[in-house]
Amino acid sequence: MKFINLLKKELKELINTQMIISLVVVMVMLMAVGNLMTSTINEVSKTEYKISLSDRDDTDFTKSMLEKLKENGNVITLIDTQGDDYAGILNENNLDSIVIIPEGFTDAIDKNEKPQLITVSRMESAAMMSNIGNHVSDITSLIRSCIYEELSQRAGISDEELKYMNNPVDIIDNTVVSDKSASISVDTIMNNVMMKNQILPIIVFVLIMMVSQMIMSAIANEKIDKTLETLLSAPVSRSSVIGAKMLAAAIVALLNAVFYMIGFSSFMSGTVGSTMSTSVNMEQLTEGIGSVGDIISTEVKLSQLGLSLSVTDYLLVGLQLFITIMICLSISIILGALVNDVKSSQTMLMPLLMLAMVPYMVSLFADVNSLPAGFRILVYAIPFTHTFSAISNLMFGHDLIFVMGLVYQVIVLAVCMFFALRLFNSDKILTISLNFGKKDKRSNSDV
Amino acid sequence: MEKVLEVKELSKKYSKVFAADKVSFDIDKGEIFALIGPNGAGKTTTIRMIATLLTPTSGDAVVAGHSVVNEPSKVRECITYLPDEAGAYKTMKGIEYLKFMAGLFTTDSRQIEQFVQRAKDINGLGDRLNDKIGTYSRGMIRKLLLSRAVMTKPKLAILDEPTSGLDVLNALDIRKTIKRLAAEEGMSFLLSSHNMLEIEFVSDRVGIIAKGHLMVTGRTDELKQRYNAPNLEEVFERVVLENEIH
Repeated sequence: MKFINLLKKELKELINTQMIISLVVVMVMLMAVGNLMTSTINEVSKTEYKISLSDRDDTDFTKSMLEKLKENGNVITLIDTQGDDYAGILNENNLDSIVIIPEGFTDAIDKNEKPQLITVSRMESAAMMSNIGNHVSDITSLIRSCIYEELSQRAGISDEELKYMNNPVDIIDNTVVSDKSASISVDTIMNNVMMKNQILPIIVFVLIMMVSQMIMSAIANEKIDKTLETLLSAPVSRSSVIGAKMLAAAIVALLNAVFYMIGFSSFMSGTVGSTMSTSVNMEQLTEGIGSVGDIISTEVKLSQLGLSLSVTDYLLVGLQLFITIMICLSISIILGALVNDVKSSQTMLMPLLMLAMVPYMVSLFADVNSLPAGFRILVYAIPFTHTFSAISNLMFGHDLIFVMGLVYQVIVLAVCMFFALRLFNSDKILTISLNFGKKDKRSNSDV
Repeated sequence: MEKVLEVKELSKKYSKVFAADKVSFDIDKGEIFALIGPNGAGKTTTIRMIATLLTPTSGDAVVAGHSVVNEPSKVRECITYLPDEAGAYKTMKGIEYLKFMAGLFTTDSRQIEQFVQRAKDINGLGDRLNDKIGTYSRGMIRKLLLSRAVMTKPKLAILDEPTSGLDVLNALDIRKTIKRLAAEEGMSFLLSSHNMLEIEFVSDRVGIIAKGHLMVTGRTDELKQRYNAPNLEEVFERVVLENEIH
């Protein structure tokens, strides 16, 4: 079959060593970073806290307080410090943080005054993960509990009463999605669905960028090398030439999607998953709850709310992803036909990238449905928006918006394909060009 | 004599300008016909219409009995086209390129092998065919493309500026191949060139084209005699001047 011959040629052109190497490198890097984050966070979020503490008060009360901290499984390093040159204290002792119990701490408690507690933390960056290992705030709450306990004892409050005062109310969180409800907090749901909601937009954005670049360069190169003229004068239909190009690009895009999906899943489970486990660990420490059972029950509650995606949902998302790629391909064919060199094709890519960037950014930070009406219509007019918000719409029961989006995308695809095919079947594929200010080569040599 | 190509008042209009205006000529079996003229004369437009790449505004061209207007797909089965300054897929090996192009003309694997073998014999690139085209010199690429254009034994091979940008030896080699294929195998060629001295050597008949008009056609020696000129360049000059005067 001549079409298979064309398809094989297009695939060979697209799947080259550079592409395979870059794909593998990206995937390995994403997986490695994900694993690195998991291990880093696991390391720093161990329940056994290493605390550097300076007891300048040195009273029976502070000593008993330190004993209690040790009993809770914390490793405490006592350090002698003086003065308020905190940078010097951290540097001298090679520390990242320290808690200082100042002189007069116990006296203040005895006088029913507020005692002071000094904390010193080193900050080296504003990155999300960079300050996770700093447990100062957790230690101060433990010390606060100790003072609370001491004061309660002095006031003759029993342990039972104290326990009750510490946790005087059981909060039963309920969340409603559409007409379904489950006893789970919004925060827990957010932590669980964040990963699913964030992977697809990233994949879609990367694919749009890559697919457009691929097909535009392919068309531009064929025009520049005049291999397109050779192909179009051969006994094959123009539709099969364009069809082979689009199918090959779609196959390569889907192949990339799989690789990126694996890489990003690993990356996101490394970041989001570990952050979640950190928060669970914090809860375990302070409230003594959190277990595998809780995680399983969270999954059950999510599906109770209809927030777990079914196989049909995934197939629908896959279909939408495919339509998105095809829209991108047909627009890129039109844009690719307009350029006469690869540099210009990069310039022509910008409007398409902006169309992808707007819904991508919106989907990361906001819900499109909650935007002001005018802006919402504008964002929904961009066909890629519907893919970025697909999972969210399916999860939260906005089935009508999803279906309308899908129908809109099919219409956009039909229109784009119509123009792409029309362009390819006309003289314009060889004669049309935007030269970005350059002199038309055809006008002086090719007529 | 059997006509392989009959061009009948072929015209192409871009906006308000006629790039080709009522161009008419024909080519016999085994004949090498050259369209000569300066850059922008309308050679490539005429050739592209015959190669079914552009749709004529009016007129027609009939290749081996098939009209480019009504049966472009039938025409494509009878012709091959080598564009001016054409390249090939740089990431492909020479041999892969030949197989790929042969596969566009037939689905019979035995015939594909025959076409490729023929191309190998013609281009003489030998083991270099196993190298990527990106490593080829300009002359090697042109030889590869010429062999591709003639390997399927088309009724009409259309070659746009077949030797442009090549050194003397490579250009000579290509001209010899064209002459041999026409003489020994009866293949017809439509060439275009702005190098009139080269055309004098290779073509049987020429057509002088300027500003979209085909001014005159004839055998080289006839034209030289008719215009009392020592070479084609001077024939061209006199033809253009004569047409400007009238």
